[in-house]
Amino acid sequence: MLRFLVRRTLGAAAVLLLISAFTFFLFFSIPQDPALLACGKNCTADAVALIHRNLGLDDPVPLQYAAFMTGIVTGREFAAGPCPAPCFGYSFANDRPVFETLADRFPTTASLTVGGAVVFLAVGLGAGMIAAARRGTATDKVVSSVSLVLSSMQIYFLGPVVLGVLVYGTGLLPSPSYVPLTEDPAGWFTGLLIPWCVMAVIFTANYTRMARSTLIEQLQEDHVRTARAKGMPGRTVFFRYAWRGSLIPIVTIFGMDLGSLFGGAMITEFTFGLAGLGRLAVDSVIDIDLPMIMGVMLFSSALILLCNIVVDAAYALIDPRVRLDAGSSA
Amino acid sequence: MSSPTEAAASVPSPLPPAPSPPPPPGPVTGRSPGRLMRRRFRRDRTGVVSACVVVLFFAVGLLAPVISWLYGKDPYTLYGQEQPGLLDPFGFPAGPLGGVSGEHWFGLEPGLGRDVFMQLVYGIRTSLLIALAVTVATTLTAIAVGVTAGYLGGRTDYWLGRLMDFLLGFPSQLFFVAFMPVVVALFVDPREETPTWIRVTALVLVLWFLGWTGLGRLLRGQVLALREREFVEAAKVSGASPWRIVRKELLPNLVTPVLVQFTYMLPGVVTAQAGLSYLGVGLVEPTPDWGRMFATAGEVYENDPAYLFFPGTAMVVFVVCFNLLGDSLRDAFDPRTGR
Amino acid sequence: MANDSRTRTTRTALAALAALAAGSLALTACTGTDSDPGPGPGGKDAAVQQKAVPLGDEAASRGPAPEVPGASGGGTVRVHQDADYDHLDPAQIYTADGGLIASLYTRQLTTYTTDEKGRKVLVGDLATDSGTPSDGGRTWTFTLKDGIRFEDGTPITSADVRHTIERMYAPFVTDGPSYVQQWLSGDGTDYRKALPDGPYEGDHLPDDVLETPDGKTVVLHFRSPQPDAPFALAMPAYGVVPKAKDTREKYDAAPLSAGPYRIASFKPGRSMELVRNKHWDADTDPYRHQYVDGFDITFNHSDEDSTKRLLADTGEAETALSFTNGVDPLQTRKALGDPDARERLVQGYQPYVWQMNMNMDRIKDKRVRDAITHALPNRRILTLNGGAYAGEVAGGLLAPTVPGHEKDFDPYGKLAEPDGDPQRARKLLKQAGKEGMRLVYAYSNDEIRQRQSVVVADALEKAGFDVQRKELDAGTWYSQLRKVDNGYDIYMTSWAQDWPSASTVIPPLFDGTQIQDGASNYSHVDDEHVNSEIRRIGAITDPVKATKEWSRLHRYIVEEINPAAPISYTRQIQLHGSRIGGARYSDTLNYIDPTRLYVVKG
Repeated sequence: MLRFLVRRTLGAAAVLLLISAFTFFLFFSIPQDPALLACGKNCTADAVALIHRNLGLDDPVPLQYAAFMTGIVTGREFAAGPCPAPCFGYSFANDRPVFETLADRFPTTASLTVGGAVVFLAVGLGAGMIAAARRGTATDKVVSSVSLVLSSMQIYFLGPVVLGVLVYGTGLLPSPSYVPLTEDPAGWFTGLLIPWCVMAVIFTANYTRMARSTLIEQLQEDHVRTARAKGMPGRTVFFRYAWRGSLIPIVTIFGMDLGSLFGGAMITEFTFGLAGLGRLAVDSVIDIDLPMIMGVMLFSSALILLCNIVVDAAYALIDPRVRLDAGSSA
Repeated sequence: MSSPTEAAASVPSPLPPAPSPPPPPGPVTGRSPGRLMRRRFRRDRTGVVSACVVVLFFAVGLLAPVISWLYGKDPYTLYGQEQPGLLDPFGFPAGPLGGVSGEHWFGLEPGLGRDVFMQLVYGIRTSLLIALAVTVATTLTAIAVGVTAGYLGGRTDYWLGRLMDFLLGFPSQLFFVAFMPVVVALFVDPREETPTWIRVTALVLVLWFLGWTGLGRLLRGQVLALREREFVEAAKVSGASPWRIVRKELLPNLVTPVLVQFTYMLPGVVTAQAGLSYLGVGLVEPTPDWGRMFATAGEVYENDPAYLFFPGTAMVVFVVCFNLLGDSLRDAFDPRTGR
Repeated sequence: MANDSRTRTTRTALAALAALAAGSLALTACTGTDSDPGPGPGGKDAAVQQKAVPLGDEAASRGPAPEVPGASGGGTVRVHQDADYDHLDPAQIYTADGGLIASLYTRQLTTYTTDEKGRKVLVGDLATDSGTPSDGGRTWTFTLKDGIRFEDGTPITSADVRHTIERMYAPFVTDGPSYVQQWLSGDGTDYRKALPDGPYEGDHLPDDVLETPDGKTVVLHFRSPQPDAPFALAMPAYGVVPKAKDTREKYDAAPLSAGPYRIASFKPGRSMELVRNKHWDADTDPYRHQYVDGFDITFNHSDEDSTKRLLADTGEAETALSFTNGVDPLQTRKALGDPDARERLVQGYQPYVWQMNMNMDRIKDKRVRDAITHALPNRRILTLNGGAYAGEVAGGLLAPTVPGHEKDFDPYGKLAEPDGDPQRARKLLKQAGKEGMRLVYAYSNDEIRQRQSVVVADALEKAGFDVQRKELDAGTWYSQLRKVDNGYDIYMTSWAQDWPSASTVIPPLFDGTQIQDGASNYSHVDDEHVNSEIRRIGAITDPVKATKEWSRLHRYIVEEINPAAPISYTRQIQLHGSRIGGARYSDTLNYIDPTRLYVVKG
């Protein structure tokens, strides 16, 4: 297990390094001076030059990249002040340390993701199980077709519809917002309920369909059929054997979804006006705020890779037959 | 294709648990698998209906200029600005239901006052064109890489695997959003009007870049399995060139998963591209665009819900039908899965 | 936080950012108030607005400020804000939202008072009067009041004022205005050479530049006569910073208060809490009040969100408002239609003038510029900017908030033909022999400007131009235009005065000697008459006379040169909760005046 973790972490670090280099160099290849963004109203040529010096923009790009990467580990000294590790630099747009902003935005995104995931896992797997257990019945058909239609919805369509009906039309729910869980648990819950549900509607369908099909497959497996033939109660068979077997594909997809959602659910955040990582990413792209883009990109990629590793480790826990050392990348 | 809805699920995620390779073409009965498939598909009423709807959408996209000519309106004229009375002083359509009338079937766009029906028809045309280009490019790349990696194995396979790891490590939606402006900036002289085709190309490139990995991985697995099968072994022993083996033995066996995945992928690209426009990094005015309609609709839906209704409904119908078509195709190819 | 639905926040934030990049959200002041929420766009155009702001004497500068009728103490005001403040360090503040919050916690040498009729006077704030000029306006002497203190109780002395000005020379101060520094020490960024490290390494400006003969007296020796000095010093950027408690760049997060409120907590991106500053003495302040106990501010409320809350007017929204959010354009109809909400509207002119700049290096023929001006559909552009209530069609380039503005000045008939006159434009273009002329039209790539580009291009094409659109990144839009060789023919910008005088409009926009990268002469006007007039009028010390002369020069520029087609003047409409009292639009702050608010006992 330890060997696996070390190997995968190193691999992930290599991928992160590549991603950072790719992003950095591509953004520096566009004909646009980032100093212009950091420049205020008195943006004279001299002021631009000053900012260039302050931000180290006069160095060759590879040197800047190296400084940026070492800064993450060791911290950096800028003309505007020190930037302790992990230092992703100062935002060109608002002059705050990038890491501070990331740390500030992450709780919103994390709350959105975790809450949404609870809803879509519970509803999705529940519905999938019912459909599988009642295979071929009307219930199954209804569940399957509803989930198909719902999975074809888009947040940018469903979101406004739900807001229009539940918030502005009838006033049943408050308009979505984020307050920290620690400050106001009830406000946190009611504020995020709509985003969770809308996000869940779209994700649920995937899980329903997958849970249904893998469960059906599992129910036909020999060991499950044997257990049933031996007179084990249906419920026990269902949960102890079939369920366990169908977890692997679900965990795989769940890991991927979670990873990318943690990195910022842009459309959800946009639709509901939540200031999480996704919004931050879009804003900083529009501003060409390079340090911020790098920060969000690396942060999100790290989360995706982390989730992948966790998923692979989870395989071993779910299914003892999986051996982690046997190379798992393909 | 990645992220149909949110930064999630690369590849329409529940890859139908298909990976069992289809039966090799063999002279078992009189009917070819292709014909069997077609028969099965024709019996599937949902499949046929959704295929018809899908064809309708493509026809609308393809024939947009003809529709425009018949309908007597175009997507660019600012009807609401030119004819007083169509928009109220706040810029909203004056009539009920967003200004739906015999003249303007789906009403008028708030603010600019263009014809919504024409905007939607041309928006669908733009979206389908882009989605088709992306899906074709993605599929071809996935086939090339998947077959190469799976068939050659060894070092090639290893490095292609690492390449895919690298690409899969990118947060896909963030990647699209971040690199769309970069790619455009790389192509265009900052002093000139950015031609629409450059934006389209940039969109295609960005969506393609990450899009092929999922299918590539799937095909690699299939080729890996096929490689060990008797008929490939036999061909090898009989001295067939690798190219011939790939062409004659492997590719025909990949048609099924490729076709099925293609069907799942296309609506994914349509919604991803619309999502980019929604976030403000897709196509710009005045090119009619499905996704940008949602961006506008999201602002005005309270005052003008009709403007959200028409493009939204069209998109749900489109995606549902495409998914149903995908399911039907999959079932027709491989009746063991599914229901 | 983050209580809106959808994208408006970002996009409005973006638009604000674009404007900010140019600093067009500059702080300003102006005459007259227009607190009557008139039913139609436009509202009242107070005649006082065209007059110069008088300089107040010692009596006018004395505190306390006249009581707001009906006001009582106590209660906390809830404030919904969109974007967080970029800066709290006064030296770095150049935006209107920053200026508004600063009015609660900083004080400058000078400030403005406005009476119930909307008449404005420039008075002493920390100083006992609006300053005494000598040496033909080169030297300005200010005497500090007694009883002025920082929030820690230490008295404010001339050493603090000296420090406040000297620290603006330090390299970390990049965003604030530089009028005073330039007048003292050198044009452009040359002034920084006079004190490269600011006051932090022990160096100070010499006495022949900045003199503090005793603890109460500050003498500024400018390089040339500066009749506007008291106006410049009223900018929030010149808010006093305590010498003993200056933490340099860290001061930006936790400034010390000299005003009626102090910052009790500030969580960037989330919230801010202002509470009473017990060391502030009302008797020293001619402008501010301290009725409410404090302000509870949260960020990330879009216009849409704050408007919805305030329209509902329930619970905490009764005692809420937004300092800077306007009424969401999409909800204006509702707000105006609801008699209860109409009572709670506050509106007035903002200092911004939208104009379509025409690059005179590329469009040399005035007939072509006139053709463009006639062709542009001002009203359509304005409507897309935020509805008919967001402003009014402009006939000239001086905002109604600038002394010297003339209401009926409309040489291109924009008020009569607000949707443009394509025939006339076509004719002019034909006369110039430029039919089918290629016109590169740059616009900032955000949602609103994209839509505006559609009507602009449509109108110009109808007039016979071949329009090439070029979308530019919103974040660096103004910086890109500020390159002399920007390569574009027309582009829409907005400008605002920094104080109520055309001297902060005409010279920065139309001085031909200032054409260089980074300068704001967007149209590249270089006209000898204009240049010499700018010099001449700039030296006139009588504000009434100067106003008249600026007004005449403005006519000349618009009529004879036409470097920029006037598009629209901007208005702001804001809403407040039903238990907020004393709400009045301030045209020095360009928003609701926070210093006179009180909570109605419920």
